[in-house]
Amino acid sequence: MRGSGKNAVLMVFTHSPYGSSLAGAGLDAALASAAFEQPVDLLFIGDGVLQLQSKQDNQALKIKHMGKVLASLPLYGIDRVYVDAKAVSRYQLDLDASLLATEALEPDKMHKLMVDYDHLLSF
Amino acid sequence: MILHTLNASPSSAAFQDCLSLLHAKDALVLLGDGVYAAVAGTHAYEALQGSPARVHVLLSDALLAGVNPNVQGIVPIDMEGLVSLTENFPRQQAWY
Amino acid sequence: MLHRSAFDNEGFLRELSDWSPTVAEQLADAEGIALTEAHWEILYLLRTYYDEYNSTPAMRSLVKYCASKLGADKGKSVYLLSLFPGSPVKLGSKIAGLPKPHNCL
Repeated sequence: MRGSGKNAVLMVFTHSPYGSSLAGAGLDAALASAAFEQPVDLLFIGDGVLQLQSKQDNQALKIKHMGKVLASLPLYGIDRVYVDAKAVSRYQLDLDASLLATEALEPDKMHKLMVDYDHLLSF
Repeated sequence: MILHTLNASPSSAAFQDCLSLLHAKDALVLLGDGVYAAVAGTHAYEALQGSPARVHVLLSDALLAGVNPNVQGIVPIDMEGLVSLTENFPRQQAWY
Repeated sequence: MLHRSAFDNEGFLRELSDWSPTVAEQLADAEGIALTEAHWEILYLLRTYYDEYNSTPAMRSLVKYCASKLGADKGKSVYLLSLFPGSPVKLGSKIAGLPKPHNCL
């Protein structure tokens, strides 16, 4: 956690990667922010955890591979990534095979994390 | 302290996600399709009654949807009330 | 030589797969850059980056990526600036045939 008082931003993703343009817009915002030395931390809740599915394959459809974009986050200095533990087990995601290192949290811990930031951005 | 806004129907994943993150000192505003969670007697309404957070419903949206905004445990607010809530809460989480 | 219609109005290649070393020469020529071995190394690295991350890098991520793939000496913005003066990401991406970066001024 980055702690409050430093204009810390937590981006909260609650939607699946391809069901809407939200995931893409949120990722763009995170990358742009980090490119300007304003790194953000990320939290994936509910369907948002589906963005971490490691077996995404965009070969058949020529659209941007969201998982690959996610994998570039550490290069931008974004390395605090949290996920909704319940949703991960609900969708049977294998986080060990995931695209980037994450920390799984139960609801109470997620709430505690959220109130530690100055701003929440929901995507 | 988090101000939650729910703009999705009670059968949505957004509703469930939101519900699991409502804590004491938080407030929730039901707006758009979220107002259907204010229908007394429904599962969603009961679930919200069981949460420790303060629950509001946006008056204009409830009236538009034909949902009675004056039910026990839910405080109706107008747009002005919503604005002052956002001023009082340092952080806001939008569920939609 | 590719026809003008293969490029957008800023000179970025529209189709990633239209790229070839010849196209790179054409693009570099338009920018007044004579490509050397050092340039090619970065151009192919940019292509690999795009393939791996499906996004055009920003300066920050490109520097880090260069450092991890080519060593600390080349993972520096001054090094990239010496090859692609002004804006290495924009210029490099353009010559490497990547889509225009949109998270970079």
